[in-house]
Amino acid sequence: MKFKIFTLLAALAFCGSAAAWLEGGGERDEALDLEPDLENGLDVYEVCSGCHLPEGWGKKDGTFPQLAGQHRSVLIKQLADIREGNRDNPTMYPFALPRAIGEAQSLADVVAYTEKLPMNPDNGKGEWPAGTPEFDMGKKLYEDNCVECHGKDGEGSAEKFYPKIHGQHYAYMLRQFEWVRDGKRRNANPDMVEQIKSFSNKDMQAVINYVSRIPVPKEDLAPSADWTNPDFD
Amino acid sequence: MKPVNPIIISLAMLASIMLATPALAADGAQLYKTKTCFTCHGKDGKTPILDTYPKIAGQNPAYSLQQMKDIKSGARANGLSAAMKGVMHLVNDDEMKALAEYIATL
Ligand code: HEC
Ligand code: HEC
Ligand code: HEC
Repeated sequence: MKFKIFTLLAALAFCGSAAAWLEGGGERDEALDLEPDLENGLDVYEVCSGCHLPEGWGKKDGTFPQLAGQHRSVLIKQLADIREGNRDNPTMYPFALPRAIGEAQSLADVVAYTEKLPMNPDNGKGEWPAGTPEFDMGKKLYEDNCVECHGKDGEGSAEKFYPKIHGQHYAYMLRQFEWVRDGKRRNANPDMVEQIKSFSNKDMQAVINYVSRIPVPKEDLAPSADWTNPDFD
Repeated sequence: MKPVNPIIISLAMLASIMLATPALAADGAQLYKTKTCFTCHGKDGKTPILDTYPKIAGQNPAYSLQQMKDIKSGARANGLSAAMKGVMHLVNDDEMKALAEYIATL
C-alpha cells in the first residue's frame, strides 16, 4: 500500500502566512512521509485504547476525544504539539512521548490505524436539536466563520492539517474551542484564533452544538453504536 | 403454606452479600483495565510508562487507597499527580477500594 500523500513543502505552501504554526518537528514531517504498517499500528494502539477505547470513540463526557476517522496529518501535528507542551493535558502527555509511541515509523503506524477505524454513530451532542433558535444561530455562525477551513460538512482537510470535527463529542470540542479562543492551546492555527476571538460563550456553545449535530457520512460510521473493534477480541 | 421465616430470608440475603465480597479482587482486575490504570502503571503494576512514575504492585491497600483519594481530591498535587488526576473522576470510593485490594495482589 502506497500512502505518501504530500510533502512538507506543499503543506507549507498551502498554509502561507501561518507557516510558523506548522513549523518544527523533523520527526513529524518524517512520519507524514512514511508508509504505515497497520499491524504495528494496532500494537501501538493497545495502550491508547485504555483511554480512547478499542473503537477509538472516546467518551461522550469529553474526557477523551474520538480518534477514529480523524485525518492522520492532524493527529501527527497534535501529537507533536502535545509532546512539545503546547496543549495543557498532563494525562495525555506521557503517551505522546517516544517511550509510549516509538519513533516516527510507529507514530505513522498508529495514526494510520485510527484513521481507518469506523466512527462513533452516537457522539455526544449539544442540547439544541434542529428547529431551535440556538441550532439556527450555530448554523449561521458556522457558515460565516468555519466553512473556509473545516469544510461545509465539518470534514476538515488532511492536506491543510484542518481537523475533521463532525462526529466529535460536544463536550470535548467545547473545551478545545474555548482553549483555542483563550490561547490556552498555544499552537492553534492563528487564523482560527483571529476568526473566533470575539465569540461569546453563547456563540461558542451554539456553533459547537451545530457541529456536534452535522451528520457524518454513512460510509465513515460503524454499523451501530454496539459495534466493537474485532481487533481486540 | 407457612409464611417464610424472616430470619431465613435475612440469612439468605447475608449469604449473598458475603458471596459477593470475594468478587472485589476480580472487580479490581476489571477496573484496573477499564478505568485506564494499566496505561500508566503497566498491566503488572510495575512497568510504568515513564521511569519517573511509581511502581504500585504489592503496595498495602490502605496506603494505596489513601493516595488515590488524595490524588483525586487534589490533596496530593505535585507535578506528576496531575497526569493521574485527569482520570480519577472515572472511579468512585468503592471502586478505589477494589482497586487498592487488587493492586496489593499484583
Ligand atoms: C491515560 C489516558 C490516555 C491515554 C492512555 C492516551 N490518551 Fe490520547 N488523550 C487523552 C486525553 C485526556 C486527551 C484530550 C486532551 C485535551 O483535552 O487536550 C487526549 C488527546 C489525544 C489526541 C488529540 C486529539 C485531537 O483531536 O486533537 C491525540 C491525537 C491522542 N490523544 C492520541 C493518543 C495516542 C496515539 C495514544 C496512545 C499512544 C493515546 N492518545 C493514549 C488521554 C489519553
Ligand atoms: C483558518 C482556519 C480555521 C478556521 C476559520 C476555524 N478553524 Fe477550527 N481549527 C483549525 C485548525 C488548524 C485546528 C487544529 C488546531 C491547531 O491548529 O493545532 C482547529 C481546531 C478546531 C477544533 C478542535 C478540534 C480537535 O480535534 O481538537 C474545533 C472544535 C474547531 N477547530 C472548531 C472550529 C469552529 C466551530 C470554527 C468556526 C467558528 C473554526 N474552528 C474555525 C482551523 C480553523
Ligand atoms: C496518566 C497516567 C496515570 C493514570 C492513567 C493512572 N495513574 Fe496512578 N499515578 C500516576 C502518577 C504519575 C503517580 C505518581 C504521582 C505523584 O508523583 O504524586 C501515580 C500514583 C499512583 C498511586 C500512588 C503510588 C504511591 O506509591 O504513592 C496509586 C496507588 C495509583 N497511582 C493508582 C492508580 C490507579 C488505581 C489508577 C486507575 C484508576 C491510576 N493510578 C491511573 C499516573 C497515572
